[in-house]
Amino acid sequence: MNPKLAEKLQSQPKRWKYQIPIALIVAILLAWSATAIEYRGITERGPMMALNILKGIINPDTHILFGFHDQSVPYLLIETLSIAFLGTIIGTILAIPLSFLSARNVAPRPVTAVMNIVIILIRTVPAFVYGLMFIRVTGPGAFAGVMTMSLTSIGMLTKRNTEVVEDLDKGVIESLDAAGCTRFQKIRYGVLPQLFSNFISNTIYRFDLNMKDASVLGLVGAGGIGAPLIFNMSLFRWNVVGALLIGLMIMVLIVEVISTRLRTKLARG
Amino acid sequence: MIIFDKVTKIYPNGVQALTEVDLTIEDGEFVGIIGLSGAGKSTLIRAINRIHPISDGTLTVNGVDVKTLKGADLRKFRRGIGMIFQSFNLVTRSRVINNVLMARVPDLPLWRSFLGWFPKKDKMDALEALDNVGILEKAYARVDQLSGGQQQRVALARTLAQNPQIILADEPVASLDPVMARQVMDDFRRINETMGITILINIHVVELALEYADRIVGIRDGRIVFDGPSEAVDQGVLNSIYGGDVPEDQKLSSMCAVTESGGGDD
Amino acid sequence: MTNPYDLIFRPKVIRLESGNSVEKKASRLPIIILLLVALTYIAVRVTDFDVRVLAKRGHQFFVILEKIFVPDFKFAKHVWTPLFNTIQMSVMGSFVGCVLALPFSVLNSSNIMTNKAVLFISRIVLSVLRTLPTLVMAMIATLIFNLGTFAGTVAIALFTLSMVTKMMYEYIETVDMGAYEAAEALGATKTKAFVSAILPQILPSYLSTCLYCVETTVRHSAVLGYVGAGGIGLTLSERISLREYHQVGTILFMLFVAVVIIENTSKYLRKKLA
Repeated sequence: MNPKLAEKLQSQPKRWKYQIPIALIVAILLAWSATAIEYRGITERGPMMALNILKGIINPDTHILFGFHDQSVPYLLIETLSIAFLGTIIGTILAIPLSFLSARNVAPRPVTAVMNIVIILIRTVPAFVYGLMFIRVTGPGAFAGVMTMSLTSIGMLTKRNTEVVEDLDKGVIESLDAAGCTRFQKIRYGVLPQLFSNFISNTIYRFDLNMKDASVLGLVGAGGIGAPLIFNMSLFRWNVVGALLIGLMIMVLIVEVISTRLRTKLARG
Repeated sequence: MIIFDKVTKIYPNGVQALTEVDLTIEDGEFVGIIGLSGAGKSTLIRAINRIHPISDGTLTVNGVDVKTLKGADLRKFRRGIGMIFQSFNLVTRSRVINNVLMARVPDLPLWRSFLGWFPKKDKMDALEALDNVGILEKAYARVDQLSGGQQQRVALARTLAQNPQIILADEPVASLDPVMARQVMDDFRRINETMGITILINIHVVELALEYADRIVGIRDGRIVFDGPSEAVDQGVLNSIYGGDVPEDQKLSSMCAVTESGGGDD
Repeated sequence: MTNPYDLIFRPKVIRLESGNSVEKKASRLPIIILLLVALTYIAVRVTDFDVRVLAKRGHQFFVILEKIFVPDFKFAKHVWTPLFNTIQMSVMGSFVGCVLALPFSVLNSSNIMTNKAVLFISRIVLSVLRTLPTLVMAMIATLIFNLGTFAGTVAIALFTLSMVTKMMYEYIETVDMGAYEAAEALGATKTKAFVSAILPQILPSYLSTCLYCVETTVRHSAVLGYVGAGGIGLTLSERISLREYHQVGTILFMLFVAVVIIENTSKYLRKKLA
């Protein structure tokens, strides 16, 4: 064997030095996690239920799917949309000042530290907890849903907006400074354009997510398509469930397509 | 031995790239294929390992009718044919040696390529191939840290690791400056002479083709208009291939104008 | 290409001295604002939004909040197991989802999956998985697999699968196909070509995405318990309905600590990957 080659082979970087410990850690994590998962087996009626759900989707209750009354899918979707919409708007408006207060390049250190913790707190609390809390204030229904969505929106929007503010391109501001602009002009022409489109992009993204969340809030009684969904599922009315699911999926898809288009347009100008 | 017998290729969009091509290439030959861009050089070469299947005619390589090959047979057939690309086609984020080892991937189980655990013998063979093209010292460097000429040599090492009988090269030096181009062409010549591998090169720089190849095939509009020793190529022959003077961008002098291609920038 | 808006509000034509002119399209802003105001009005009516109710009963919210901020730590011992269950479901589900996402994202990539029929079906399945809210999937899972952590893990796995696949297939479609072509030319099967030529390119991004998913799913899976799919959601909803807000505070506090630890670890690891 060619000694030159053999020597080269020896010099190869020893990847196993970090591959093995990582593999070990991952394996331990997985083993620990697996202990919690008890496979209770498939329910007696499990496969039949899955089949029924599929049948319900293929053969939905058209009275509900296309009607225009209180229980119909279109009405529920509009309600869900409204909850998401209003929640997003309120959340956006309230998030703007908070975003600036959390940004390290705008607000003083102690303020941002506090704000960051507050925002993480807001984000950690699951939405349904807020839902239940707001029901005490407004009673069950869509109103509670709006308030819940506002709060969760504030949480996520502030986090994303703060990142945008902190990533501000100083170069633009510098060049405006060099051109002799006043503080106000610097903000108006240097800062705002950068922020504006990003904030809007975040808002649209949040609206997308809110649509999905709002449909779920119904579970806790906060309005939207979630309540009839779980209600009918517990009654095994698969045709109705099918209709509701179809409506939900179509709506979410449409909102998502529109939101993606808008956001790419914003990003590319 | 490669035999083209009345080979025609028509692309799905209607473009007729090759028309009734007859060509025989013996083992161990060093053939340069020249012609205008779009004349059909690429199609000719890629028909041999069936990247572009032919529409009509027969194409046999070492007695095997290329048209009949499918699935596992096709893959086995391709093992014996090496291909060099203009843009090197390496995995830039990986190390040089892993790229050369790619030649062994078809013969090894999937999990080996997934984890990157290759047998020692294969690693030694890879190192030997790298030594053969003169870049052994870069074996463990990342590909995007190498220059263009070095990257093409890695690609060459990868091909050699296949132990091919035929090497097809599609514009191998088009992205390189004249000095590097010469080095790579020297490698081709050396491989052809010492290892007896048949070499087919698509090349648009006429001077290099004439200097290195023993035999020249000229293509124009999908037909072979010249097939003979490189000494026999004169201005008249070039006129018939190019329909006039050799275009400026196919002369050696134009290569100096090509910006230096370092490794790694896209 | 003229769109209707420009026909109604004609763009302003600005003429320069040199004789050249340029069109400045009328600002879209007024109509956007109009649209937003109209939608807001509709939304307010539909949801019975009423600021006065907020003013009158808003303090209730803060009453609850106050209690939450005084956690009852004696309750903590009841929280450990469900909390860990949540994390375990999250880890397991994310792992399964991420592993399955790799082949599934290949099935969804138009540059590797040339079979149009397979691509079409894969995209539809992906869309369905993405649009169904996690809770709904969890509900269906409990019906099929019984209440408990298994159903929750399945829901998380499906959610992770959809998220990672979407991010990965968009990335794969922009990847450099050169090395893949070379691999096929030297006789590798499509799978081997993918593993040796494309996988190394996407690996850092893939791992980063997977870590990001684990971060996100921990918060998601906290909710699953609400529908009986295991984890801390059940405990949480129990305590709320019993109005034991101090205990709710305990749960939220411990959840908060867990999320902070996990998020920061994940951020750190992702930075090292980049």
